[in-house]
Amino acid sequence: MKHLVFILMFAAFAIRIADANEPVSIVVIVNPASGVDHLTRDEVIDIFLGRYRKLPSGRAALPIDVAESSAERERFYQLLVKKSPADMSSYWARLVFSGQTSPPFQVPDSKTALELVQSNPNAIAYVDRASVGPGVKVVLEIKP
Amino acid sequence: MKSSPESRRRWFARFLPRSIVARTSLSILVLAVVMGLVFSVMASWRVRAAEHDRLIARVHELTATVESTVSIACFLNDATLAKEIAGGLMKNRIVAGVRITSGPKLLYSGGVVEAADGRAARIDAFPQTIYSPFDQKNEVGRVTLYVSSAEIEAQAAAYSRYTIWILSLQVSIVAAAVAFLVYLLVTRPIKGISDELHRLEIRSGMRLAWPSGNRKDEIGQLVLDVNGLIARLTDALANERDLRVAQEISERRMRLVFEKADTGILVLDARGAVQSSNPSFVRILGPGAALPGAKLDDLLRPHGPLVAELIESASAADEPREADMEVDLGPGRGKIWVELSVNRLGPNLLQGLVNDITERKRAEVAARELAARDPVTSLLNRRGIDAALVQVLERPIESRARPALLQIDLDHFKAVNDTHGHDAGDQVLRVVARVLERAVRRSDFVGRSGGDEFQVILAGVEQAAIALEIANKIIAGIAQPVDIGAGVLVQVGASVGIAMGSGEYEAPASFLRRADEAMYEAKQGGRGCARIAPAAVTEPEDSAAA
Repeated sequence: MKHLVFILMFAAFAIRIADANEPVSIVVIVNPASGVDHLTRDEVIDIFLGRYRKLPSGRAALPIDVAESSAERERFYQLLVKKSPADMSSYWARLVFSGQTSPPFQVPDSKTALELVQSNPNAIAYVDRASVGPGVKVVLEIKP
Repeated sequence: MKSSPESRRRWFARFLPRSIVARTSLSILVLAVVMGLVFSVMASWRVRAAEHDRLIARVHELTATVESTVSIACFLNDATLAKEIAGGLMKNRIVAGVRITSGPKLLYSGGVVEAADGRAARIDAFPQTIYSPFDQKNEVGRVTLYVSSAEIEAQAAAYSRYTIWILSLQVSIVAAAVAFLVYLLVTRPIKGISDELHRLEIRSGMRLAWPSGNRKDEIGQLVLDVNGLIARLTDALANERDLRVAQEISERRMRLVFEKADTGILVLDARGAVQSSNPSFVRILGPGAALPGAKLDDLLRPHGPLVAELIESASAADEPREADMEVDLGPGRGKIWVELSVNRLGPNLLQGLVNDITERKRAEVAARELAARDPVTSLLNRRGIDAALVQVLERPIESRARPALLQIDLDHFKAVNDTHGHDAGDQVLRVVARVLERAVRRSDFVGRSGGDEFQVILAGVEQAAIALEIANKIIAGIAQPVDIGAGVLVQVGASVGIAMGSGEYEAPASFLRRADEAMYEAKQGGRGCARIAPAAVTEPEDSAAA
């Protein structure tokens, strides 16, 4: 039992090291029918942080966040605006009472987000580079 | 109205209390008020400036505080959030108004954002550029705080007033504490010493109490020193009192000596005026001596010049000068002899001693007379004759009267002596003496120089003839028979030599020799006769036989 715990801890450590050593890009994806081929970093920031909820094609944008505890979400915001999940919570909390804008729509995991983008031309989401599947279009790759 | 510094000071002093306690307290109080005022003015100016700076910094701080939220509001163009922020800012009294813009779009503008009256309510704008919360290089808006200068000034002034209050309170408390401490440590002990010293009686031997709180400091030292001085003063006073008593006793004793002395004691000045004298002086010289302004040379008449001379020489020398003098005290008292001794006491001051020596002088005269008399005949003896001769010959010649000396030698006296004895001889001598005394005037002198030789000195005769006449009268008288007792009569004779004085001075010895030579001539001439001696060598011839 003792040995098992030790092994698990070692494994977790090893995985973390593997993560750091092998950076994985985050990509922003949209529905191919959205009419958008490419987004700038600032445009992605404006959409996800609530400044403009419109795509350059004129279509309303529906940004999708994965669950707060997920690694993708943390890495996405870290890479995009250099903010931690706590910073982001604080940011949105300040806007709660003004009611003019709201956080992105939240889904449980990347798979759901992917499905949502595949089915909704307004949707815009982020996933690991490796998780990109068919039926979505990568409009921005954010490299670490 | 003129006001010299002196009078101004006096005018000012009228308002100062005299008590050291009140004066010290008042001084400290005045000093505290003045210093408090000075410090307050300085502090208020400084505090006001500092408070002003602080308020300005506060405005910047406020801006900094809301910067991140404003940044979000500008980023999202969120007017609601902007209003929220502005509302929070405006709760600060110094913030008069807020304006938040996001690019060209006005998110919020509220409160006083422009000067309504440029002068009375000046409004300062504090703008701050706002950057995106996600990109520090991306300018997303601007927030401007409007602050009323009047409000800032008022707040600074209020704070300054508050500071002055605190400062004044502090200075007052410190002043009160200092005044109290000075009173406790310095003024009260000094006042205590001062009061005690004021009541102190040196004679009673009182001492100052040693203040318990100040034993080791200067006040304790002061008390010790004062007590030391008092002790020395008391000793000095006691000494002086003893000395005075001793001096009084001594003075009384001296006075007693002075009063009771038989010697007349006086103090006189260089002019001979009597300054003071004792009772004996008055007793000796009479009541005139007690009169004020009596002069010694007047009192000792007729010896004024001698007295003046004594005074002068005693003043010059430091030795006593003395002289005997016979003083005429006028009717009643007659003549007395006094001995005057003059001693220098100081400049222009002399001491005189006057002794009545009349008795002594009388005894002296009696003794001298005794020594000058022949005990058998009571006539002058040889010494007496010499003295009389000196006196007569040295007397100044005033008229034509001249002295004359009669040298008388008895004839046949040896026979009487041999036949009838010495007593009979003495008897004859006494009878002869009476004959001679009867033959001359009282001013003349009669003496026996020894054996059967007699001398008669005529004080003054105008002519030799008169001397001769007297000589003959003497010869006749002596020739009378003498009863020597038991009815026995004896007879002697006399030979006389006469020397006449001239106008010039002649030595007594020469005078005697001339008379003697004349007497021998008379004896050789047959006895019982008189011869006149030739004049002295210097004298022109004036002699003649009887």
